[in-house]
Amino acid sequence: MNKSNQEVLIQFRNLTRKFGDFYAVKNINLEIKRGEIVGFLGPNGAGKSTAMKMMALLLDPTEGEIWIRGNGELQKLTRKNKDYLLDNLGFLIENPAFYGDLSPRTILNYFAKLKGYPKDKINDRIEDVLKFLGLEAWIDKKIKTFSKGMRQKIGIASAIIHDPDIIVLDEPQTGLDPKARKEVRDFILELKQMGKTIFLSSHLLYEISEVADRVAIIHQGRLIAFDTLDNLEAKTKKSIINFELLNTEDKNQKEFLEKTKSLVHPLTGIEKDLSWVKYNEDTGVFQMIFDGDPLNQLKILRVLIDNGFKVIEFSVPKAGLLEDLFIELTTPEVK
Amino acid sequence: MRSSKQQEQILIDEIIVDREKAGLKRKITQIGNTLTFEFKRNLRNFIIMLVVFASVFFLLLLISELQLAQDVALPSDPVDYVGGYLTQFFGFLIIISASLFGGSIIVEDFKKQTGNLLFPKISKTRLLIGRLTSRYTLNAICVSFYYILISIVTYTKYSEIPITLWASLGWALLYTFTILTFVTFMSSIMRSTSATIIVSILFLLIVFNIVMMILRFAGLTMEPLFLLTYYEGIISGSLSMPNPRFAEIMMPTPGGGDPVLFTQWLTPTEPAALIGMLIYASLFLVLAYLIYQRRQSKSE
Repeated sequence: MNKSNQEVLIQFRNLTRKFGDFYAVKNINLEIKRGEIVGFLGPNGAGKSTAMKMMALLLDPTEGEIWIRGNGELQKLTRKNKDYLLDNLGFLIENPAFYGDLSPRTILNYFAKLKGYPKDKINDRIEDVLKFLGLEAWIDKKIKTFSKGMRQKIGIASAIIHDPDIIVLDEPQTGLDPKARKEVRDFILELKQMGKTIFLSSHLLYEISEVADRVAIIHQGRLIAFDTLDNLEAKTKKSIINFELLNTEDKNQKEFLEKTKSLVHPLTGIEKDLSWVKYNEDTGVFQMIFDGDPLNQLKILRVLIDNGFKVIEFSVPKAGLLEDLFIELTTPEVK
Repeated sequence: MRSSKQQEQILIDEIIVDREKAGLKRKITQIGNTLTFEFKRNLRNFIIMLVVFASVFFLLLLISELQLAQDVALPSDPVDYVGGYLTQFFGFLIIISASLFGGSIIVEDFKKQTGNLLFPKISKTRLLIGRLTSRYTLNAICVSFYYILISIVTYTKYSEIPITLWASLGWALLYTFTILTFVTFMSSIMRSTSATIIVSILFLLIVFNIVMMILRFAGLTMEPLFLLTYYEGIISGSLSMPNPRFAEIMMPTPGGGDPVLFTQWLTPTEPAALIGMLIYASLFLVLAYLIYQRRQSKSE
């Protein structure tokens, strides 16, 4: 069956959760459409996990509602219809521990049965999912022998074992090494290719920027931005350029930096007081801020080359942009 | 993934999985699935407890055989012989096994955060029913195994098995359940499995006995039906009902004072035991359930 990607699958309506007088989540409104990856970004303690736990009804909202599409229409999530509405969702919330003495096969078999997956297909499904995650050789090994990255993959497997359309992943890459983080990122993109809708929380800006179609930024329990990265960039009118020069000796850095500043400043589209160019000695990368206008980007590149700079790398990194956006949106003075 | 493409309307293949519909049948199936899963999880504890029960039995048998070798005659009544296996260490065994099986029953979901995996898939009520049933079943098999060993040995020695042994088994199973509900309650309020096991054993083996001793020294002669461990007496007491329900014993007072005559209650009556244990079990289960539910919205 084909469904439109404009179809809303999940909706938060004024979602609020209080702990005593403290608002962990306050008046969040957002919607997730079929087939998209929505990144839920915020620092630790911003309210991401609380919001996700409310989706799973591990916590009750103090105010507001969560609506989930079930049987063709959006329905308000309640304890009464929880089993039915959450059937089509798979959750990985925080970093759960597994029963170390059991194998992935035993645990996933139990989870699949709980969700009513057809019994005669469970074994094949477990093998497929573990193959997808590269763990097929570990299917009957005890989980206590697994590394942290492998356990996290089992966490993802437990979220997708019943083949839900919507997958909710809370900080799936936290604590993983770069290789494992990349693997998880690739799985997320593959899941999207399969038509899954993914709601992904993280405080790792890069991980979100690499996969998310839209980004919801949460700070102190409030949703402060929710849009595509392109639109957010356009709204803030700021972006970052990274560039590297060929054979630049350290003694020349200061000279290059000053020269670059004077050359590019009129082209950045940013007020002089807010404009900056930096050099990172560890990475050998220059960084500058500009207004995100592609035309200005081109002008900056041209002026550097015309003035004899041997530019070998020139890019607008998404993570850098998101980091900048994040600081922009979450720091009151900057706002 | 910065892309303007996602703004366009595109069609996405929806994968249809023929999952069993949510409803009463699924709820019952989930309890069954939990039961099977918990059997697998607790297999090691089960084997350990079977070995422990068997070891205690064979040690007591060894003592009995050594006495026979020293020309001490077998009791003439098989009931007395059977009682030898049920009075000394049996209550202790039940407490240990119930604590081992029940220690993690609730607390593990919070300590290890396994609840975050489970609760979106199954309600706590069904999870608790499945877990309690499976762990009680394993516990009950261990207790029954001990009785089977007793019955085999008794039959080889007397060519008969006292019918009251099976009544005693019934009381032992009920007492086991009551103790398991107590441990479940402790599991709902404690922060780790090991702490639950230790504190439960401390309460059941030491605190309740100290309370009983204090009452004795305070001169109270009322039957201690409010003490959970008092109901253990019915397990051996039921072998030859009506038993002497209490005994007058001379005991030295702490601090080296002169011995004083005390009333020591041995066993409740059968109706009192039935009602008392059912009240206790219900109370502990309701409390454990309510705390489990409350922990759902506060501790996570």
